[in-house]
Amino acid sequence: MNLSKKIVLAEDNSILAKLLQFKLEKEGYQLLIATNGKEAVDLIEDNKPDMILTDIMMPFISGLEVISHVRNKLEMKTPIVVFSSAGQEEMVLSAFNLGATDFMSKPFSPNELIIRIKRLLQ
Amino acid sequence: MLELLQNSVEALNNSHPIIQFCAYLSLLFIVIIILLLVYLKNLRDRLRIKGRIEATYKKKYESDLIEYLYAGDDKNISLHQQKIIDYFKKNAENRLKRKLIIATFLKLKNEISGETSDAIQDLYYQTGLINSATSKLKSKKWDAVARAIRELTLFEIKEAHDEIILLINHPKKEVRNEIQKYLVKLFRFDGLKFLDVLENPLSEWDQIQLLEILNKFNNLEVPDMNNWLRSNNNSVLSFTLKLAKIYNQFGVKDEIIALFNHPNIDIRIEAINVVAHLGIYEAVAILKEDYFTRSLEEQIAFFKMMEEMAMPDDIPFIREHIEHDNFFIRISVMKTMNLITVDDDNTFKINTTATDFTIDKDLTIAS
Amino acid sequence: MNLDLPEQLINFFDYIFFGFAMAAILSYIILAIISAFETVNYMKKNSFVNYTEILSSSISPSISIIAPAYNESLNIVENVRSLLSNHYVNYDVIIINDGSKDDTLEKLITAYDLVKVDYLINNQVATKPLRKGVFKSTNPAFEKLIVVDKENGGKADALNLGLNISTNKYVACIDVDCLLLEDSLQKMIKPFLEATDHKVIAAGGVIRIANSCIIKDGKLLDINFPKNHIVRGQILEYLRAFLLGRMAWSKLNGLLVISGAFGLFDKKIALEVGGYDTKTVGEDMEIIVRMRRHMEEKKVKYRVAYIPDPLCWTEAPDNYKIFISQRNRWTRGTIETLKKHKKIGFNPKYNSLGILSYPYWFLFERLAPILEVLGLFYFTLLIVTNNVVWDYAILFLIVAYLFTVLFSIITIIAEELTYHQYTKRGMGIQLIKTAFTEPILNHPFILYAAIKGNFDYYFNKSIKWGEMTRKGMSNN
Repeated sequence: MNLSKKIVLAEDNSILAKLLQFKLEKEGYQLLIATNGKEAVDLIEDNKPDMILTDIMMPFISGLEVISHVRNKLEMKTPIVVFSSAGQEEMVLSAFNLGATDFMSKPFSPNELIIRIKRLLQ
Repeated sequence: MLELLQNSVEALNNSHPIIQFCAYLSLLFIVIIILLLVYLKNLRDRLRIKGRIEATYKKKYESDLIEYLYAGDDKNISLHQQKIIDYFKKNAENRLKRKLIIATFLKLKNEISGETSDAIQDLYYQTGLINSATSKLKSKKWDAVARAIRELTLFEIKEAHDEIILLINHPKKEVRNEIQKYLVKLFRFDGLKFLDVLENPLSEWDQIQLLEILNKFNNLEVPDMNNWLRSNNNSVLSFTLKLAKIYNQFGVKDEIIALFNHPNIDIRIEAINVVAHLGIYEAVAILKEDYFTRSLEEQIAFFKMMEEMAMPDDIPFIREHIEHDNFFIRISVMKTMNLITVDDDNTFKINTTATDFTIDKDLTIAS
Repeated sequence: MNLDLPEQLINFFDYIFFGFAMAAILSYIILAIISAFETVNYMKKNSFVNYTEILSSSISPSISIIAPAYNESLNIVENVRSLLSNHYVNYDVIIINDGSKDDTLEKLITAYDLVKVDYLINNQVATKPLRKGVFKSTNPAFEKLIVVDKENGGKADALNLGLNISTNKYVACIDVDCLLLEDSLQKMIKPFLEATDHKVIAAGGVIRIANSCIIKDGKLLDINFPKNHIVRGQILEYLRAFLLGRMAWSKLNGLLVISGAFGLFDKKIALEVGGYDTKTVGEDMEIIVRMRRHMEEKKVKYRVAYIPDPLCWTEAPDNYKIFISQRNRWTRGTIETLKKHKKIGFNPKYNSLGILSYPYWFLFERLAPILEVLGLFYFTLLIVTNNVVWDYAILFLIVAYLFTVLFSIITIIAEELTYHQYTKRGMGIQLIKTAFTEPILNHPFILYAAIKGNFDYYFNKSIKWGEMTRKGMSNN
């Protein structure tokens, strides 16, 4: 009964997105990709995903706003994992304050990301 | 027609020099305009083609790279992978495509670590791209050299060390900075040995770049910084102070205190700023003693430091400055008094400043 | 009429106008060549620069973006959102609501969950007082935002309040409707941080014209070439000035003006000289001249830097009325600034500022329109009094026209070789067409505005800033 779980990925680096898509789809997840915060929010609202992966630094609506929107406006408890560039500690703290579940700082190991996702989706 | 032309030329030759000059100038302008228009059209066409190539190949290279990374098993390079390697190798012969390939590799490599990152580095070797970089190290054009060093840095090619180190005294500062970044990225704190002998100034921009490279590493073995803090090069001092702060080097406190008397005011202020972060309490007494001989800027820095370092027996000294002319000192004094005195006549009710501003952060429901 | 003016007199004037025209042409060519070299140099130096490290660094200097707003209700929420999404990390955004009569403040309060806070302001420069006060957001996602509501005092006054409020080392003074690209702050701060043997006091950037461009959600999605020929002319004009002019001035350390739409300043020095001058309409130029003068007098080695990359996109006037009003204001600003600082003109004590920049500006920016109009009058007079000169008049016009066209085409080529922003098919032709039509369709109005500016400056003291109606940046 491994119904395909839906993951929304908000990442504007096209090749990283492709890589994560490849790996996650191989694990059996269904992946929806957004290239900025606004698209991410739209995808989340339309698809009610089981997990959200988002970069913090994105054009226009930042990753932080995505988290805030999901937790406050949509009141969803979906696990959210944020990616940050190393050193953005304050941003990461803000992310957690807003309700992020976990974070991985770039550069990160794709394998470890998969492990964490599996764990969070249990 | 011909008669008209002949008449005009005759009239021209008979007229005032200014008129002649203007007429010839106009003709010259017209000719140049026509030539430039032709060139412009050609230029735009070339750029358009280039844009199309870039867009097409970017997609292709991205998919190929992903395929390569997951096509084979861990041991051997599969046939499919070999095909991709050869494909990249062939494409890399073209300068524009080579740039795109390298950019694609780096775009991914910069974001991830671990096996996948190593695999990309491996690919860099396999496709022979490394050769184009190492050969450019010998180039006469400084920007080509700098670019090559940067590429080798990003792909973490340790083998190039010996060749690169030869360039350490390159006349162009951009090249020297790239070398510094290479050394630090690949050899971490060992790479900073150049600080021992550095004579040129290290700009704040360069310092930030180096610190950020170091920042990405975990579990670094921090070396002894004492002799850097005695350097004749002020930028080395400044850089080391930053290192001391970030890596909590309480051990160098004596050298830092010594810097309170350095001839350069910016160094003195930077040293004072580090004190609070490292908790060097003995510095407080030292600075209090010669407080009045110091410049206003240093005094402001001192009080900012006191916000975190003040002890109850410092109160009398601090209280003297409540009415100080300077806004920042007044604020620091009030903050300090509030922090170290409780339910006392000495506490103040102040309008909060931006830094004290507190908002209710418990707004969100964490899952 | 048949007045026989003495031939010598005619020759004299002919040579004057001719000489001036040739000097102008020569100066444009020299500046263009220097600009070209400098831009190539800049691109070489920065083609491999890594701007990402400085973003996240905890020691990267903090910047305050200060944006005055007056009756910006239509777009203010979107503009602020765009400013908040910059990729730099250590910065805050200070919006100064300069006594707007509309609901600018209310819209911001709603959109960003703002509440009024107590704020202790260090009044280093005198400004008009606060009105409704200082506001900050209760939502941590908007932590960077500070909104200040004050009594109306004009752009300079609002900027000064921003200077007072900011606690950061550097301030970026911008127009609130400017679209700043994500990496603009780190590119602009670089010269400040790279300088080792001198101080960078200010940095200016390039202003690109956003009319007809697709801007959605605060991001520049598509660059289009507008149909409006007034705007087209301005695009060429800006390209000429930025690609072939300012870069040279920056190299010569003679840059006198940084665009008011986007400039980065060392806050301490800006405050040292007393902030912006509220009595002039050319406050962006005036503060630079004053800061430069201050550094010359202090005998400290300094520079005003310039970044040629397109970083800021803004709306340009698209009808003659507003266009003329804008140019009128620019003219008066130039006159006021030059007059206020006339002490430095031709004064060797002020080095390149006094010997190169000031005379150039005085001659080719301030006097040029007047001389041009006088020239036209002169030739008309001669023609009317039958003192020949048809051939002079026509040839002068032809030479001037051809040179302008030539220079514009060189500008277009320079743009293609550097930033190549107008990529779509057909834009090349449009640009070239504009090169040919701009001298006829735009220039006369610029001339008229300049003369009116002079007239207003001397005889009409009541006029101030003039209106600019907001059309909105997002195209639906």
